[in-house]
Amino acid sequence: MIRFSKVSKTYPGQKRAALDGIDLEIDKGEFVFLVGASGSGKSTFLRLILREIRPTTGQVFVAGKEINRLSNWKVPKLRRQIGTVFQDFRLLPNKTVFENVAFALEVIGRGKDEIKELVPETLDMVGLDGKGHRYPEELSGGEQQRVAIARAFVNRPMVLIADEPTGNLDPATSVGIMKLLDRINRTDTTVLMSTHDSSVVDQMRKRVIELSEGRLVRDEARGIYGYQN
Amino acid sequence: MQAIFSELRASLTRNTSMTISLIVTMSVSLMLASLGMLLNAQAERTEQYFGDRLQLQVNLCTKNSPAKTCIGGAASDDQKRAVRQALSENPEVKEFTVRSPQENYAQASELLGQSETGRQQLETLGADSFPESYFVTLKDPQKFDGVVSQVSGMDGVGNVNSLRDLLGPLFEMLDKLKWAAIATSVLLIFAAILQVSNTIRMTAHARRREIGIMRLVGASSWHIQMPFVLESLLAALASALIAAVGLGAFMSFVVYGYLRDTLGRITTWVRWEDAFIVMGWTTLLALLLALIPTLVMTRKYLDV
Repeated sequence: MIRFSKVSKTYPGQKRAALDGIDLEIDKGEFVFLVGASGSGKSTFLRLILREIRPTTGQVFVAGKEINRLSNWKVPKLRRQIGTVFQDFRLLPNKTVFENVAFALEVIGRGKDEIKELVPETLDMVGLDGKGHRYPEELSGGEQQRVAIARAFVNRPMVLIADEPTGNLDPATSVGIMKLLDRINRTDTTVLMSTHDSSVVDQMRKRVIELSEGRLVRDEARGIYGYQN
Repeated sequence: MQAIFSELRASLTRNTSMTISLIVTMSVSLMLASLGMLLNAQAERTEQYFGDRLQLQVNLCTKNSPAKTCIGGAASDDQKRAVRQALSENPEVKEFTVRSPQENYAQASELLGQSETGRQQLETLGADSFPESYFVTLKDPQKFDGVVSQVSGMDGVGNVNSLRDLLGPLFEMLDKLKWAAIATSVLLIFAAILQVSNTIRMTAHARRREIGIMRLVGASSWHIQMPFVLESLLAALASALIAAVGLGAFMSFVVYGYLRDTLGRITTWVRWEDAFIVMGWTTLLALLLALIPTLVMTRKYLDV
């Protein structure tokens, strides 16, 4: 599903590589934790998959396509196959829960009827049934993150990227979010989650990829968080 | 599509003052540009009416000509032939064209038809009140004395006019006005382009969250650009409409209300059909002015 082949990335004007010779493969339906200290290259790793940036050397494949060779106008199509969730939720405050989720479908040109069917179904799945008319500020942090996950998942992407999704949440709420991500993973959706949250990693016992100073230092099936912040 | 229109509505509400200021700048610049184009049409019309401004106009005798050379009444065929021969053989003449009495009558009808007194005058005139004329182009426009003295003494020649002296100042004025209008409109167009790009930058900043999410969920470039393009398109059409109304008012009050009546004797003035053509060009100009910077700027600021 995702393959990095000798990928290095050096940002312009910087000496040290943000990523250095990364070689790895993530299969369809896998659940993978991406761990490492701040500045270890996790964000660069995720941005490369989204084709927000291109590698300096090496190749990145997503769903069988080398995305470095993807022409600009095909990038939106790639991103429709990838759902993304962030630590800060990134909801639109002037739109209701329903509208926030529907927005993701509207802007890719999905029809009204489809939206009416898919959005309630997805809200139900993430546990927000009946809260579609609320505004983000009326929701708790955990609920807001569920809205963000619903928005990322409503188009049924092949990959869900979660960038520290529990970073702003208390431990109890985090457990709920992890259960939700696990449920999404069971629909054969690849989930790639970067995190600093050792307890969720230790609990889930999924594959763990650790980056340090841009290098891949650990790739462990059923791993634990395994280092001190 | 509905989503795009709701974005557009939101954007217009957010940017009301910017959009209004853009429309004002654009409509003033378009008005000046259209005035420039109208003056150009006027100059062409005047030139067409009088012939090339470097020409001499040789009018043969009509039955009523008072000149001494017209004692026999309207110029006879022999006299016409003699004048044409003289013109062909004169080394200072480059070429000449013939305008028949009917053609002169048609021109006069248009000129006089512009005002009430002219129309009354026209009733007493017929094609035979007008002479056959020769429009003579000289090799060196400064040296017309030789031709004038040769031809004006010939039998059958009513008079010889050099339109150069009469029309020179008028052409110059029209030309200067035209360039002044065009230069001012170019300045304002420059300001309008800056305003378009400013508006887009501000809107892009105000909507960075939405745009970020749109890019993330895979909205296509055109989908992200569309509200901006539509907003510019609306502003352009509104400006073009205002400019057209302004030009219409100018035509109605200045050209039809004053010039055609009062100064109708000088030349034939522009008509509504000239104004409509100018309005079409102005609308096209407005669309280009709005769309080109919008497409360039959205590429730049939206990173689409």
